[in-house]
Amino acid sequence: MSKPRPDLGDEVTAPYWEAARRGELALPRCDACGLVFAYPRRFCPGCWSADHTWQTMTGRGCLWSFTEVHVAFYNDTWADDVPYVVAVVELDEGPRLMANLVDPDPALLRIGARVEATFADRDDDLTLPMFKLTP
Amino acid sequence: MSVLDGIAIVGVAETEIGKLPGRSAIQLQAEAAVAAVADAGLAKADIDAVFSFSGYSQSMMLHAARVAEYLGLRPELAVVADVGGPGTHHAALLNAAAAIDAGMATAALCAYGENGISIRRSGRGRAPGTLTGGEDFEAPYGQIAMITGYALFAQRHMHLYGTTSEQLGAVAVASRHHASLNDNAHKRDPITLADHQASPMVSTPLRRLDCSLISDAGGAFVVTSVDRARSLGRPFARVLGYGAAATHHISSQAPDLDSLGGPTAAARAFGRAGLSAAAADAVYIHDACTFSVVAGVEALGLCGPGEGGPYAASGALGLGSAHPVNLHGGMLSHGHAGGVFHLLDAVRQLQGAAGRRQVDGAEVAVVHGNGGVFSAFSTMVLAREDP
Repeated sequence: MSKPRPDLGDEVTAPYWEAARRGELALPRCDACGLVFAYPRRFCPGCWSADHTWQTMTGRGCLWSFTEVHVAFYNDTWADDVPYVVAVVELDEGPRLMANLVDPDPALLRIGARVEATFADRDDDLTLPMFKLTP
Repeated sequence: MSVLDGIAIVGVAETEIGKLPGRSAIQLQAEAAVAAVADAGLAKADIDAVFSFSGYSQSMMLHAARVAEYLGLRPELAVVADVGGPGTHHAALLNAAAAIDAGMATAALCAYGENGISIRRSGRGRAPGTLTGGEDFEAPYGQIAMITGYALFAQRHMHLYGTTSEQLGAVAVASRHHASLNDNAHKRDPITLADHQASPMVSTPLRRLDCSLISDAGGAFVVTSVDRARSLGRPFARVLGYGAAATHHISSQAPDLDSLGGPTAAARAFGRAGLSAAAADAVYIHDACTFSVVAGVEALGLCGPGEGGPYAASGALGLGSAHPVNLHGGMLSHGHAGGVFHLLDAVRQLQGAAGRRQVDGAEVAVVHGNGGVFSAFSTMVLAREDP
């Protein structure tokens, strides 16, 4: 069983994955109300405007929460990965994103810790934004 | 005046719970359904509406039609409601109430159940892979089990309020104690806090004994009007108030702990019922994990925000306390097949039919909790009424 992967052909979210492919974290910013939102979707979740402009994020933020996963759920798809850290990061621009923490240093691993984006190729087509702890 | 004002739950039933290979989910649902109708003192011919949900381990489209067909029923309404957690059963109750109010039904069967253990072992269960909407931005990171999402909130609660693993352990120990008083519970052997602390880590900070079970089981209940309920000759549960609140689906879209929907749902339900959690003789909280109970007692107002850990560790959850929680053993110990058993046990408590775990003179019961990962909350306040 292969790991779940996003729909790279979705017209609304494709720019997110294309940016990740270039090593950039990009999100839509609403032209009407200014909200930067994740995940990308057709309408701004704040005001329902359909007009937004893609913006490159700084990639910096802080750890909102995290969990170290010790069990490979569902058909051992993640058996080679456990334990792995699933994190929710609050970007300096506001939105929260889920990602894995790459090589988390236990001495730095705490809620509120500073993080920055990094990128991991999962296969020939898919690059996933990830985060690493920064001192 | 609400369509819920004259609504009663008159019959409840659950199947055996545990590992039941060879019994399909629809069979378990049907077993519970037939038993619940009998428990109500009604018969097949009395049932004129079906509300149901298949559960997530083997999702079935048009599930209510399948249940109706399997049982040889041809109702006007066969409707699926999927809110998640207790909201699924509460929405069925709301649908049934509306149907009764509209003259479309007089007695509604609400049926649930999953063969969550056996379907996985058979390889025919749900597998992650097809993503929609926000899941595209979580599942590729290994957020594939609900417990991982709950762990994120438990970790944050510990960070903000100093909640400890031992306090979560108190929830697991209390649940198991209640299950030890329930002959139909999946896990009945008592556990200690030391057992909890020694159990393997699943998703930090949650250990195996912090996680709800997966069970093969079915549960069902029957809804009718209070007038009809009175004619059946035994105590029943009357709906006093219902409230809900939906804020998100996936974890990274959730509001922070102080803004989740739990307190809102509870306040709406208690407001409509005209009372508070202080009136609850028996409390049922959808315990996907031990932390769900910590969040639940805070949401219901049994303690203040952030005080759920010390509240649990104080012994306040156990039978004999003012507001005992999950007297059937909860999903942590009694069993988990869609989470309907909390509602069933609340009704039993109000009927005085809960055996060794009975709260003497129980008059008011509250069923509360969420679907998803603290995504859609639902609170139902029920009261005993005698015929």
